[in-house]
Amino acid sequence: MGSLLTGVAILIRGHRQLLILIVPIAIFAVVTQLVGGTLLGRIAIAFFINLMVVLSLQIFTGNSGLLSFAHVGFMGIGAYVSAVLTMTPEAKAFAIPDLYPALVPVTLPFIPAVLIGGLVAAVVAAVVTFPIMRLREAASVISTFALLVIIQVILAHWHELTNGPRSLFGLQPYTDLPTAALWGVIFIVVAWVFRHSSIGLRLRASQDSEPAALTIGVNVVRLRWIAFIVSAFIAGFAGGLWAHFVTTFSPRAFYLIETFVAVTMLIVGGPRTVSGAVIGTVIVTAAFQGLRTIENQINLERLLPFQVVGVTEILLAVVLIVVLTVRPGGLIEEREIFSGPGGPLGPDADSAAKAPP
Amino acid sequence: MLSVAQVEARYGAIVALRDVSLTVEEGELVALVGSNGAGKSTTLAVVAGLHRPTGGTVNFEGTSLVGRAPEDVARLGISLVPENRGIFPTLTVAENLRLGAYLRRDGAAAVRQDLDGLFERFPVLGQRRDQQAGTLSGGEQQQLAIARALVGKPRLLMLDEPSLGLAPTLVDRVFELVGELHRSGVTILLVEQNVRRTLEVADRAYLLRTGRMEASGRPSDLRALVDIESVYLGGGPTTSTADAGPG
Repeated sequence: MGSLLTGVAILIRGHRQLLILIVPIAIFAVVTQLVGGTLLGRIAIAFFINLMVVLSLQIFTGNSGLLSFAHVGFMGIGAYVSAVLTMTPEAKAFAIPDLYPALVPVTLPFIPAVLIGGLVAAVVAAVVTFPIMRLREAASVISTFALLVIIQVILAHWHELTNGPRSLFGLQPYTDLPTAALWGVIFIVVAWVFRHSSIGLRLRASQDSEPAALTIGVNVVRLRWIAFIVSAFIAGFAGGLWAHFVTTFSPRAFYLIETFVAVTMLIVGGPRTVSGAVIGTVIVTAAFQGLRTIENQINLERLLPFQVVGVTEILLAVVLIVVLTVRPGGLIEEREIFSGPGGPLGPDADSAAKAPP
Repeated sequence: MLSVAQVEARYGAIVALRDVSLTVEEGELVALVGSNGAGKSTTLAVVAGLHRPTGGTVNFEGTSLVGRAPEDVARLGISLVPENRGIFPTLTVAENLRLGAYLRRDGAAAVRQDLDGLFERFPVLGQRRDQQAGTLSGGEQQQLAIARALVGKPRLLMLDEPSLGLAPTLVDRVFELVGELHRSGVTILLVEQNVRRTLEVADRAYLLRTGRMEASGRPSDLRALVDIESVYLGGGPTTSTADAGPG
């Protein structure tokens, strides 16, 4: 309760920076909704869903300092749970013939189903992540990767819920741009409040120095766990929106490439800040779409004697490596965008003076 | 208040402490002195719950601390300012101080009042409250580390080498500060290599040598002993990094 109040107090004081993040995005959403075509509209929806996934990663990784590869798996859990909940009994008879009979007649409205998808993801996270929250560095990252693999295999073999490795189809396209944009903005605020809450502050302290955080009474393992649960909820929620955006998907949609894209967005922008998560998503989405368009044009106009395939992914991977080499903290490193001078010589001086983490 | 009895601690096969006993009474300033590698930091780590002893007892106001997690020890009112100062460099000065206060349950108004008091005592922290703590100078960081411990209103404040690596004038300032805190009623367990200065401010002192309690008593009793010690140790602050303690 106290942490919530502090969070809100900080929010009001720091709302100008938050507005700098939200306003341009909201304007983009409104303009796209009013004058953009179908293609731009779909890019915008995909952007907002990616943004939610990246924000969910930021809540865990940015505050605890532990990278997670598992979040796209939790997105998958939210996608499947919400799909099973919104589909009509007829659609389920076709798409998931082995579905548990008890679930066949259940048909919930869209947002409640998505919320339940998020909650299920959060509950699963609560149960499975507690033991790995004690781990650090490489061990921690690898264990989240193992978790992604486990979730993937379960999704691909739980015929009674997911239709196994085959595509699930027959969802209604409920996710429109206003919905995606609204929830995207809501989760920016959530991530911002979380970062500045007492929990966020204590986690960031543990990232700076775990022994020092312990000696001032911070229960690091429990706080990491809480952050993971919150972030798994958002990832699951984003999965539900995504499911009702693409309307047809298979478990493969929640695996390595998607994890790579989300992690790239976060790392390029700067995992430690909410501004970094937002800006990373904007930049990588723009780059991805731009490169895709160029790649398609090259192939279409036969500018090269061969077909170009996968250049987009390769270039993004190169960008990721460059950022990690040149600016390991990401574009917005430690302080939120427009935080004012961080040191006697301003924000650049203090980031330059910092040793890479 | 604090009683450490017959504690043994190891790092793997290396015995860092053997049969170490000490007590701290309420309101006292007790010093723990000795050269590098004597086990001073290890003793503090054992009390703080950061290092589990292999033998002996540690009691704080009748509660056993052995096997307790560091966060639980902190909750009992024991605050450690570690050797490397233990500040959070990417957080602002104000955030560092806020973290020091979060275990307190006596309300935001009381915390704010104490913070104002601290900003008076450490004006430089007030001027730099929105600056990242990592951008402060060494002396300022040491002040921040002590201030952060004080916001938590600890029942026992443990300072690990607060003067380490500071310029001589700042060393003076740190010892002045420790003396001030003591006079204002804070119970302090001070670990130092700067034996001469430490014995000037302490009520009682313990001398550790290679993991054993060599001597204890009033500073005046220890001074003679320490002088002999410093002769064959080369005297003054050594630069060796052979300390078996953590960090």
